[in-house]
Amino acid sequence: MKYMGSAGDYRVDRPGRLVTRAARLAPDLKWQFIGAIAVASVATLVRLVGPLIIRGGIDDGITEGDKRTIIVAAAIYVGLLVVQYFASAAAQWSVAIVGERYLVRLRSVVFGRLLRLDMGFYSRSKSGVLVSRMTSDIESLQEFASDGAVLALTNLLTVVGVAFALVLVDWQMAFTVFAVVFVLAGVTVLFQRQARRAYDQVREQIGSVLATLQEGITGVRVVQAFTQEDAQASTFGRVNERYFEANMAAARAISWYFPVVAFLRIIALAAALGIGASRVLNGTMTIGTLVAFLLYLDWFFQPIINLSNVYNLLQSALAAIAKLFELMDEKVVVDDKQGAFDLSEPVSGSVALETVSFSYEPNTMVLDAVSVIVGAGERVAIVGETGSGKSTIAKLIMRFYDPESGVVAIDGNDLRDITERSRTGALALIPQDGFLFAGTLRDNIAYADPGAPDEAVWNVLRAMGIDHWVRSLPEGLDTEVRERGGRFSAGERQLVALARAFLSDPSIIVLDEATSNLDPETEIQVEGALRVLLAGRTSVVIAHRLRSAERADRVIMVDGGRIIAEGTHSELVESSPRYKELVEVWQRGAK
Amino acid sequence: MVEDQSRLADLRVGISLLWRVALRYRGVAAMSIVGALIWMAMVILVPYLVGSVIDLVVGRAEMSDIWPVLGLMVIAGAIQAVGISLRRYYGFKMSYRAEADLRNNIFTHIQRLAFSFHDVTSTGELMARASSDLSQLRLILAMAPITSANLVMFVVVAIVLIIIDPVLGLTASLMVPALLFTSARFASKVVGFSFDLQQRLSELSHVVEETVSGIEVVKSYGQEAQQQARLDDKAETIYDAAMGMAKQRAIYRPFFEIIPALGTVAVLALGGVRVVDGAITFGEFVSFTQYLAVMVLPLLITGWFFANLPRSAAAASRIDALLETAPDIREPEHPVRLKPGHGEVVFDDVSFAYPDGTTVLHNVDLRIPGGSSVGLVGATGSGKSTIAHLIPRFYDVTSGSITLDGVDVRDLALDDLRSEVSVVFQESYLFSASIEENIRVGDPMASDKRIRSAARLAKAHEFICGFDDGYATVVGERGSTLSGGQRQRVSLARGVVRDPRVLILDDATSSVDAIVEAEIQEALRQVMAGRTTVIIAHRTSTLALVDNVAFIEDGHVVAFGPHHELLEEVPRYAAVLATGAEVDA
Ligand SMILES: Nc1ncnc2c1ncn2[C@@H]1O[C@H](COP(=O)(O)OP(=O)(O)OP(=O)(O)O)[C@@H](O)[C@H]1O
Ligand SMILES: Nc1ncnc2c1ncn2[C@@H]1O[C@H](COP(=O)(O)OP(=O)(O)OP(=O)(O)O)[C@@H](O)[C@H]1O
Repeated sequence: MKYMGSAGDYRVDRPGRLVTRAARLAPDLKWQFIGAIAVASVATLVRLVGPLIIRGGIDDGITEGDKRTIIVAAAIYVGLLVVQYFASAAAQWSVAIVGERYLVRLRSVVFGRLLRLDMGFYSRSKSGVLVSRMTSDIESLQEFASDGAVLALTNLLTVVGVAFALVLVDWQMAFTVFAVVFVLAGVTVLFQRQARRAYDQVREQIGSVLATLQEGITGVRVVQAFTQEDAQASTFGRVNERYFEANMAAARAISWYFPVVAFLRIIALAAALGIGASRVLNGTMTIGTLVAFLLYLDWFFQPIINLSNVYNLLQSALAAIAKLFELMDEKVVVDDKQGAFDLSEPVSGSVALETVSFSYEPNTMVLDAVSVIVGAGERVAIVGETGSGKSTIAKLIMRFYDPESGVVAIDGNDLRDITERSRTGALALIPQDGFLFAGTLRDNIAYADPGAPDEAVWNVLRAMGIDHWVRSLPEGLDTEVRERGGRFSAGERQLVALARAFLSDPSIIVLDEATSNLDPETEIQVEGALRVLLAGRTSVVIAHRLRSAERADRVIMVDGGRIIAEGTHSELVESSPRYKELVEVWQRGAK
Repeated sequence: MVEDQSRLADLRVGISLLWRVALRYRGVAAMSIVGALIWMAMVILVPYLVGSVIDLVVGRAEMSDIWPVLGLMVIAGAIQAVGISLRRYYGFKMSYRAEADLRNNIFTHIQRLAFSFHDVTSTGELMARASSDLSQLRLILAMAPITSANLVMFVVVAIVLIIIDPVLGLTASLMVPALLFTSARFASKVVGFSFDLQQRLSELSHVVEETVSGIEVVKSYGQEAQQQARLDDKAETIYDAAMGMAKQRAIYRPFFEIIPALGTVAVLALGGVRVVDGAITFGEFVSFTQYLAVMVLPLLITGWFFANLPRSAAAASRIDALLETAPDIREPEHPVRLKPGHGEVVFDDVSFAYPDGTTVLHNVDLRIPGGSSVGLVGATGSGKSTIAHLIPRFYDVTSGSITLDGVDVRDLALDDLRSEVSVVFQESYLFSASIEENIRVGDPMASDKRIRSAARLAKAHEFICGFDDGYATVVGERGSTLSGGQRQRVSLARGVVRDPRVLILDDATSSVDAIVEAEIQEALRQVMAGRTTVIIAHRTSTLALVDNVAFIEDGHVVAFGPHHELLEEVPRYAAVLATGAEVDA
């Protein structure tokens, strides 16, 4: 199964593109970024002066036997170190500000994008994978920002600076060293190619580890009920092992590359020593210069090694950002278009589907040229076999999806022309399994309007006749409902979801089997409340219990994605044999 | 204070776990340490060789004397490379292996923790244990071999330096304690922030997770902005914690450069003077500067190791706490064999309270004769599902007992018990796998024929065959690509595919239409024949199928008997079922 769209242009092997695009996310940080680089450059420059002072100390002090010069050189160096301390501190600090600010932005932008994606995307994706984008991927960027970025920056600057210094000290020897560096570059290219693939795999696999993990946790009750613990564990073990393998592939790359780098360093050292020694011996170089050169050489290779060390941080960061861009490249299918307008208040609440066709997956038509008109304030029931497309109609009214052809309209306005804010203000859907967020009961009921006074909450509860239930809870409205409302029974969850919808005071309410888990007595009580609460509102009710159909102004019968009958309950009993049969079976069951 | 102490305790627990893990992989760890020691020896040898070359140069030797030393250097370089390779590869191997194994342990353990644990533990929290906490632990494990070699190296280098020249050696060696002290201070400053950071990261992950799983609600109320605000808020608190850390870094990190540089200055001043005095050779002087240079990185790594140790130890102690959590539902020490029988279930004076204290069932006495069926009827929240969940021991009774064919369920091996009790949950949770795999969860051994007949029975076969991929159709997470009724029927098929003594159906047809429901009822007759069946339902037609109905109000069984008798004798029963309601509608 494919969880997300293709990676497009932003692959890890195109780091340049990744970086430019990453930069475009936060143009306002540009100057801060440049500032940070400037500070870091100063710190590096200061650092680079050190060996020159040592050369002076050696040539003018030690070789000459002049102790005073030695002490003066040391004193100058100490002074320089004080400057270096502050410059480095400033560099650390300014790079951190840019990096962490950027992450705040990135989190916000990615999440914002995630929120705009349509329900189709969500049902295709594994939630564990989506969550891992926002957590483990961004965290690997965070690691890079807090540890890697400064290291990468200062080391890069050091390498460049030292390269200059080497040439300055002795260009002939410098070019010998560069020859070694040339080999190093070749080796690095090989390594990078291998490592990129490996890190890409690592990112990929961590996603499926997390997704499997998450399903293992959320489905744990089913697993235990059917004693599938071992089977589940072995499935997880396999996924986990693949992740291990991916990590080891990266480890193998690192385990040959770094030794080679270290070896090349020694080669360069030996070469420099050999050439330097013969030059000192034939008098064309001072011993101080040789020592300074050796010091610089260390400063040349050490940063390269450091860079390779932060390389895996960098590589994870790049792989992570590539994954994030992949997510951000998901097409926003359902979105406010340019020039979308608000519904004019007051919303009267008529709903119309005009020859709407829709399919979730290509070639499997779920709705086929369905036309429904629900007048303002009317109450319409949709009945039909399971899987006939009733919930799909509800989802289209909510604009969870856009129809393939045809129009869904409120008050005569195509949903696609209306702003999201205005649309969601006018509509409320109460789905079958009332999803509750972890938090208090109050948070959940007042979800659409977090500022709602308790008074308003109690009014709704009272109208629904469930205020005594809430009062009987140990902590009343402050009761923690736990993840997905696990603290409550299924029926209680439905009651809370209903209360939530009523508090949001919509003009149009869509009930998708919203009372299916209630006992009949409570259901009737809620129905009574509905009659009061729904007065003057448009409602679309999907229910298998035909009691709601009997009370509706009009009944629409759906079968295989088409409307096969429409009319009042009593009309349909007369005119539609299918409906008549349904009613008869149902009545036999209820009495 | 208290917090400090508990952190200290955490640290101890965490370090002991880290230690145990390292021991478990001692073979690989040893290889890595051997590699590190080889590397270390060469790191110490090379500056000495450099010093010799310089001395030869100063002593105006011939190049022919110098070449062999350089050759030796290259050989040392090659050996060093081998050392690094061993150190890195086996270091990685140990840490990744440990991570993977621990992750498996965690997963397996989570699978065994009882419902009561999962009721109060969020998914995100468990995910954090098995992801971010584990990687924290892995980092420190990966660094352990090199750190131990580093520590040896510091001692050896100090000794070498002191042998070359005691005064200069002692002065230069001061760098080691100075750096280690600084990094320890740094570590202690940073710990608090990193704890905060971890905490805030997991809060953020919680927001994301909840948004993703509740996306339908978020979207239907247009609360994207609210969720976005919550996330931005968390991101901002992460920023604060990260910047708190960054500040400490800015203060302490530069010392990690300055201190070695000060060492170099000391060598320049003191060493220079001693060269002039003739106490040491120039080559030895150069060796000193080289030693200082090669020690910087190991010192930094060691500092880093100790700076991260508290954070990793905390992560390890959280993992340890999870692994040490005993399941509330424990296997009996001496399991009793299930006696042959027809599945008689007896509740004897059972009271039950959820761990958070609300008593839900009060002195329930209920006898379900083997092979008979019973309906549970009661208002929303009266305790029906709870009763059902006690039979397969998802929870243990608070007082009283439940027996299956005369044996207390607590005395049966869990596998024995649960393989004889099949539950169709009220919520139809499906895995993101094929429909067939989902049904097979009910009985992994089931033949294809059985799978299909279970699906037929649940009236799922027809719609499954309507899909292009049939039984191989992969459903979304939680079954999200199926309609509510389709989902419920697959879940029903999963429940009936095995052949248990006791079958529990918790509102198992609430989302299907009346006609399909009637068909399912018809099919159920044959499943129920001779099998103990507990059905939670509100439909009279279903209740007409069962031998007896237990009527439950507020956690009490207030009436028990055949449906039609209760209808006549218990007015509250008729009221809850609202049998007369249509008339006055
Ligand atoms: N997200 C989805 N992706 C793919 N197919 C889907 C998705 N949701 C529903 N379907 C399919 O579309 C068809 C209609 O589903 P819908 O949920 O509208 O049915 P329904 O009439 O509401 O049924 P029920 O009464 O069982 O709730 C079903 O065959 C279902 O499998
Ligand atoms: N995990 C839990 N922790 C604490 N209380 C719980 C938990 N699960 C359920 N409850 C409470 O126990 C009571 C009984 O719940 P139960 O699920 O058994 O009800 P039910 O009769 O099956 O209801 P419904 O018909 O709505 O499914 C309810 O008041 C509920 O709030």
